[in-house]
Amino acid sequence: MMTAPRANRPAALASAIRIFDLSLGQMLWSRRSVFLAFLVGGPVLLAAAIRLATILEPLFVHAVRSSQIGGVTLFGIMIWLLYVHVIVPVLGVFYGTALIADEVDDKTITYLFTRPIPRSAVLIGKYLSYLTCTILLVLPSVIAVYFLIVPINGGSVGRSFPLLLADLGVLAAGLMAYGAVFALVGARLKRPLVIGLVFAFGWEPGVLLVPGYLKRATVAYYLQALVPHKMPVDSTTISVLTRMFDRFPSIATSLAWLAAITVIALWWASRTVEVREYVLEQ
Amino acid sequence: MTSRTRYFVIASFLVLLIGLGTGLVAYYVGFPTSAFFAGDGPDELQFVPPDATLVAFANVREIMTSDVRERARRALPRLPDGQEQFRNETGINVETDIDRVVACLSRSTDGGRGAAFVLARGRFDAVRIESLMRDHGASAGDYRGVRLITAAEASAHPGGLSLAFLEPGLVGVGSTALVRGAIDLKNGGKSVTTNDEMMKLIRSLDAGNAWAVGRFDALASQARLPSGLAAQLLPITWFAASAHVNGGLTGVLRAEMRDEASANNLRDVVRGFLALAKLQAGSRPDLQTLVQSLDLGGTGTTVALSFSLPVEMFDLLGAAVGQGILRSR
Repeated sequence: MMTAPRANRPAALASAIRIFDLSLGQMLWSRRSVFLAFLVGGPVLLAAAIRLATILEPLFVHAVRSSQIGGVTLFGIMIWLLYVHVIVPVLGVFYGTALIADEVDDKTITYLFTRPIPRSAVLIGKYLSYLTCTILLVLPSVIAVYFLIVPINGGSVGRSFPLLLADLGVLAAGLMAYGAVFALVGARLKRPLVIGLVFAFGWEPGVLLVPGYLKRATVAYYLQALVPHKMPVDSTTISVLTRMFDRFPSIATSLAWLAAITVIALWWASRTVEVREYVLEQ
Repeated sequence: MTSRTRYFVIASFLVLLIGLGTGLVAYYVGFPTSAFFAGDGPDELQFVPPDATLVAFANVREIMTSDVRERARRALPRLPDGQEQFRNETGINVETDIDRVVACLSRSTDGGRGAAFVLARGRFDAVRIESLMRDHGASAGDYRGVRLITAAEASAHPGGLSLAFLEPGLVGVGSTALVRGAIDLKNGGKSVTTNDEMMKLIRSLDAGNAWAVGRFDALASQARLPSGLAAQLLPITWFAASAHVNGGLTGVLRAEMRDEASANNLRDVVRGFLALAKLQAGSRPDLQTLVQSLDLGGTGTTVALSFSLPVEMFDLLGAAVGQGILRSR
């Protein structure tokens, strides 16, 4: 049997870029994007509503100020509760598990695997398009929330700018790690979406509450250690929730672990895609 | 990549770049929040000296036209007040002519003694005010192009009492040194807006239509408190109070303590008093709303006590006061 000369076969990186170029548009303009728009638009609408209420309703702003929660703290709470705990894992689950699983379900994976490119380049290219797509949607949303929320109660957009940079970095790291983990789940397992949801919203929050070392087997544990905001300490529900996670590894350790999780999960997913025979259901 | 995708990527990058660029400029240039949004206190603060130990503000117009004021007037018996007399003497109707008032205390003048200064914005008859003050022995002159009316030396106010129209519709009354200082500040210079500690607290209270912020140690030393009491209160560095009068009365009293241990101690004391008050209010349904609305909060070195009274509460208070008066008769 004749095989294509190796010299004509494009390099893995060039192949991944080609797949990225192809997948980005597909990912952005899919039905899933409606859900994505709702997910990242929700906090912006909420922030706009809070901002509007502080302008139009003096009693509301006075209540906010009386509660001692400044704009920076409010922004931190939104980052912590909405983005780190909900939006980033949800995006990771829905997009990460779909990178390969969607092609299998749509029976289009054959077309990609019959191209003269490494199979792993398909996964890497799709992963890069997932990362670009989510980062380009989530980070502008965070910036909009920042400018709407931080000035409430005398907060300064200038003084707290380093916090915004740190938050953007944390969210990008979260999207990278969750995307890689769920890409692996999507490449290896059947019904990856269910398993991914159980992992993100069952295993991770559950294990974080259990004393011991089990929490180190989560992405959230390392991600939360990077969040720069100090939560208010009182007897409110939010405070009780945040105190559950008050023992974190150092920033360097967290970054190293997140990088390791991303690289290992991506490598493993690539290996899986390289060797696995995907059986398309008739 | 389709053109639709390309436009989306460009738009997202633009939002990111503009947001980060604006934040970066704000971080390095340090322009205040008010470059985008209101929140740096009333404009009159530019006439307040930078070393003021107490700054207070009241939006007189909002308070006078509030439903709380209306209910209070209806519920409470008419109390003798000096409003009519004040109008006859100065031609100023407090209810309609004054929009807002900013007051301050400063120790830098008059040999370290406290001096007061009040800025009132509204509609004033300058000629009538000057003639009334002249009738009481005041002298008028110009200071840096501003008409300065100084009361007679016999005035009880230490260092003399003066009045000046700093801007159309803005009158400054108080210690002569502070009024002169305000005229100086009109042409530029450091005002209380450059006092970061004070402004941080003012910004956090600015939503209320009445508030006061002050350095507690400076005020305690002026108040000549008993030495034992002063020693107990000393860990308080700043105090702040804010209220919003309209649609009920909401407010917060806040103390900034020297350290977290002192703040925790004060929180414990206030918590104890609140528990006692709740116990006492159990048999007084009229007081239960008031006591239940008290909420202790604050983080770190801040201790805050907030309250919220519905406007109906003033009817109850009025009824209670009325019954008390009838009983005393």
